[in-house]
Amino acid sequence: MTTVVLLQYAVGALLLGALASLATARSRRLSGWISVGFVAVAALLLWVVVLRAFSASPDPPRALAHIPAVGAALIVHVDALSAVFLAIIAVISLLTTLYSVHYMDRFAHDTLAKYYPVLLVLFAGIIGVVVTADFLFFLVFWELMTLASFFLVVFERENRAAQRAGLKYFVVNQAAALGMLAAAVVLWRSAGSFDFEAMRAALGQLLATSPLRAHLLLALLFIGFATKAGVLPMGSWLPDAYPAAPSGATAAFGGTMTKLGIYGLLRVFLHLLPLSGATTIWGGIIAVAGLGSLFVGTLTALQQDDTKRLMSFHVIGQVGYMFLAVGMGLLLLQTSPALGALALLAGVFHMVNHSLYKSCLFLGAGALEYRAGTRSLAALGGGLGAAMAGTATCALLAALAIAGVPPLNGFASKWLIYATGILGARSMSLLAVAVVVAMFISLVTLASFVKYLGGSFLGAPAAARPVREVPWPMLAPQVILAGACVGFGLLPMLPLRYLYRGIIGLPSAAGLPALTELLGSGPNLALTDAGVITAAWGPLPLALGLVLLAALCYWGLQRGGEAEVRDVPVWVCGEEEELGAVRYPPGSFYRPFKEAFHGVYPTLHGQLPAFPPPLRRALDPDHWLYYPIARASEQAARGVSRTHTGVLQVYLLWIILGAIAVLSIILLFGGGGT
Amino acid sequence: MLKTLLALVVLLPAAGAIVAGLLRPRATRAVAVTTSFAVAVLAVAAAWLGYPGGYRASIGGMAWLGPERGRDLFGLLLDPLSTIVLIVVTVIGFLTVLYSTKYVREQNRDHAVGPEDQGRYYFWLLAFLAAMAGVATAPNFLQLFVFWELTTVCSWALISFNRSEKSLKAGFKAILMTHAGGLFFLVALLVLFARTGSFGFDAIGQLEPALRGWVYVFLLIAASAKAAQVPFHTWLPDAMEAPTPISAYLHAAAMVKAGVYLMLRAVGAGGGVPHGVGILLAALALTTILVALSFYFVQDDLKRLLAYSTIAHLGYIMLGAALGALGSTVGLQGGALHVLTHGFSKATLFLCVGAVAYVTGSRSISALGGVARVMPLTATAYFVGVLSVTGIPPFACFWSKLMIVAGALQVPGALGVTIMVLVLRESLIAFGWMLHVGQRVFFGAQTELARAHRDPPLAMSAVLVLLMIGCLVVPLFGIPLVRLIGG
Repeated sequence: MTTVVLLQYAVGALLLGALASLATARSRRLSGWISVGFVAVAALLLWVVVLRAFSASPDPPRALAHIPAVGAALIVHVDALSAVFLAIIAVISLLTTLYSVHYMDRFAHDTLAKYYPVLLVLFAGIIGVVVTADFLFFLVFWELMTLASFFLVVFERENRAAQRAGLKYFVVNQAAALGMLAAAVVLWRSAGSFDFEAMRAALGQLLATSPLRAHLLLALLFIGFATKAGVLPMGSWLPDAYPAAPSGATAAFGGTMTKLGIYGLLRVFLHLLPLSGATTIWGGIIAVAGLGSLFVGTLTALQQDDTKRLMSFHVIGQVGYMFLAVGMGLLLLQTSPALGALALLAGVFHMVNHSLYKSCLFLGAGALEYRAGTRSLAALGGGLGAAMAGTATCALLAALAIAGVPPLNGFASKWLIYATGILGARSMSLLAVAVVVAMFISLVTLASFVKYLGGSFLGAPAAARPVREVPWPMLAPQVILAGACVGFGLLPMLPLRYLYRGIIGLPSAAGLPALTELLGSGPNLALTDAGVITAAWGPLPLALGLVLLAALCYWGLQRGGEAEVRDVPVWVCGEEEELGAVRYPPGSFYRPFKEAFHGVYPTLHGQLPAFPPPLRRALDPDHWLYYPIARASEQAARGVSRTHTGVLQVYLLWIILGAIAVLSIILLFGGGGT
Repeated sequence: MLKTLLALVVLLPAAGAIVAGLLRPRATRAVAVTTSFAVAVLAVAAAWLGYPGGYRASIGGMAWLGPERGRDLFGLLLDPLSTIVLIVVTVIGFLTVLYSTKYVREQNRDHAVGPEDQGRYYFWLLAFLAAMAGVATAPNFLQLFVFWELTTVCSWALISFNRSEKSLKAGFKAILMTHAGGLFFLVALLVLFARTGSFGFDAIGQLEPALRGWVYVFLLIAASAKAAQVPFHTWLPDAMEAPTPISAYLHAAAMVKAGVYLMLRAVGAGGGVPHGVGILLAALALTTILVALSFYFVQDDLKRLLAYSTIAHLGYIMLGAALGALGSTVGLQGGALHVLTHGFSKATLFLCVGAVAYVTGSRSISALGGVARVMPLTATAYFVGVLSVTGIPPFACFWSKLMIVAGALQVPGALGVTIMVLVLRESLIAFGWMLHVGQRVFFGAQTELARAHRDPPLAMSAVLVLLMIGCLVVPLFGIPLVRLIGG
């Protein structure tokens, strides 16, 4: 089977699954398992597609449907970059659907007909976005994805905040999408087609003839993707919308949908845009946007109490890292291709890593909500780690990964970002500032997740709270994702090899050096410059050292020193204290910090201008034109009717007067002719 | 064969109207559904047989006008543009009739209709169907004018159907305004005939440019009045006094489309529209779109909101005609496609509102809330309608709007870009507002009105489902059809 056929089957399975889950929505678990089954089939088919794309002879593009009236065609083309995203989608979609089967018990009052079908359509839309090589259909699938995710955000119908968040989400993203549509149509005018290749040629030509217009188009596209990715200030919808959706859907958003902003960025700036001065300029803009976003997003995350909202702000922050890396890559691509390639690779690797740990974190927050019934850290009260050991361990691993603690995957990608930034600073010293900010923010991330872990899992278990571990369909996805975080951290070269193929498959990045020249051929990452290793990261030796150290501590100190473990009540100054009184509440974490950076995330309250009443009247011609005319006609008619008195003499008088009038007219004007 | 089919499409509903008007309620409904279904099937068959070439047949003339001039005055025409209109008229006509069989009843909480009024209702509805099919298949301006005025009469009768003070006034206003516009059509017609000796659509190209400009302006006035364009837009919101299926059919899908059809026809006839008239047409269309948009925010009655949205979307079609006049074929095709896509999308929305009113007895945005919990199907249909009508892919209106926007960019200079920006802005704001209204009415806490009701009866629900499918699939055959226009 060819790629196109496989994809058709995969999307077909998802749509069929949507119908099947709709039909069975009344029996809740069955509907969930049916969805899982169809998504599993689709995921399997997607993995076959991925393998084909990375094989020696990938399938060529194929057009499925033509719209000659506007010169568009549904061109299906899975290149290496698409394959990377398809692999992520396959994994995350399956895990989040599996997770949802039990999680959706939370919403016993709501029908599942508005969850699984929409979720599966969302996955179909996401697949469509990454496999099409025609910009019009790219946008069509893009909007399909937005519209499906909107219905997931507004899932809780009675929740006013969710409704508002959904409206904001859809309208902001629709505005961005319309901007992209405008850019696409402008390019279409000169290209005559929406095909990526034709648009690349048209954009190159436009850059030569009227660069201002070309930059305007690029700006529209950049805003479009930045909005979806959640880059501030366009991404301010994200912290409202993400928490509103059910956690399974939120994890799917965080794991797949946000990432499509990065996908679009790479497609536009490395595929549609030929390598030129514009690449460097936009690289700078993207990097600055990313830097601002990671700074503001992460610092705001520090101030949150709602677990999912906290993580949503980290989505903004982490996407900032990706934008920073991709921006640096575009910036350096022409002056030092090796560093540019590394930065791009770092961005894409960070994106993959983020899919893994952010999905895991959202699922963990959902698990807490499922068992403890709240998302508020203050209300959770800590101490759930003992009862929910599996969830707690996964959350710990994912939290350490997002904070960039070695040897997990988050550190590997961040290390690449830092290393390229520092090396790049030799030619562009401002990059050093960016790296310092990024490192500082990494610390803030850690702090914020210490608060999350402390507020939810750590501490003595609260008495008389019947909390158990979540059922296995909810735990398994977290375990798999956390395991992947560890695996990708220990063996970073494994994913990097494929990710790099995704990057160099893009037309504007075709001439970049091979990966072995950049990072060496061993399992460790080694940056070389003229044969000299300038930076290196060996996760395996470090992990081995860590394991040895832990073993030493446990066997050497605790067991060897025969240290005794005692269980005692909490005491302060010799007096026993209530647990709640001595507990350090999550709201009190980092207070000076929070106060210092309070205004970093501005909240705007805009008031729409009122429509001026005179204009409103002017726009309604009834009141100043038609009704007055009607009234005047009516009055005139009434005046005429007044002449009908019913008296014979009066009628005779009218006849005589009329005759006189007619005769005079004839005599006055008609007389000349005779 | 095709001639018989087309003649039947016009004559069958006319005959059905007379029969339906005479029978008892039950039989009336059966006759109406059968007739309209047969007409829809015949129309689709005719469209199938007539694709892709144009078809034209003569039926007769008026000999006293002279041997040459009086020949072929009446006949039948089926080209891509009239196919589009014919499909909208007959298919949505059938769905409207089917929907009405349950809606126009005593059980209706919004306004009950007793058995004694059923005959009258279906008589006028089927008569309108016949008149509108006549508009679509008219081969020249004369025949078009005759059926055009017939639709006005049917519209008047149906707006005033309730015979309440308000509906009588609204009907009177509608007939006055559309008929006054129709007089300009008559003038244009007579000028055309006096100068060229023909009523044919292409005769307009034989006029000298100055006079041609005036004929176009007169046609524009007539079309604006019929299609409720600024400054004649005030009759349409008042016409919402009509029963909701009538609003859906006459005042969104079909009758108002006669106006824009005239403009598309006149522009597409290839006479070469003077540039100034093209600009005027575009300016009026844009003004209409924006003026109608400004009225969205002050409506509390769902039907009035939809009426203003209809005005705006008729403006889109006018804009398509304007773009065609300014030289963009894609724009003209987009306008024609919008006739089809908007017809289905707006009918979906109106019939949804009808369903809500039928069940709850209210159309007030502020009084309703949480309706989706009890009427999930209706809620789905509303959102499909909103997404479709505001141009969210993959729904129908996206494709037509795309073609209009693309057509705008074919117009050289800043004008095209300005049109594009304005159109996209309107799309966004309208989308945001309609979505917001949908959330208020269908989501949120349940209000007293929305309690313990359920989706409307099967016939109405089935129509909603069919229309939802229509909102997705009509571009599939609409786009190949409009591609043949103005080739």
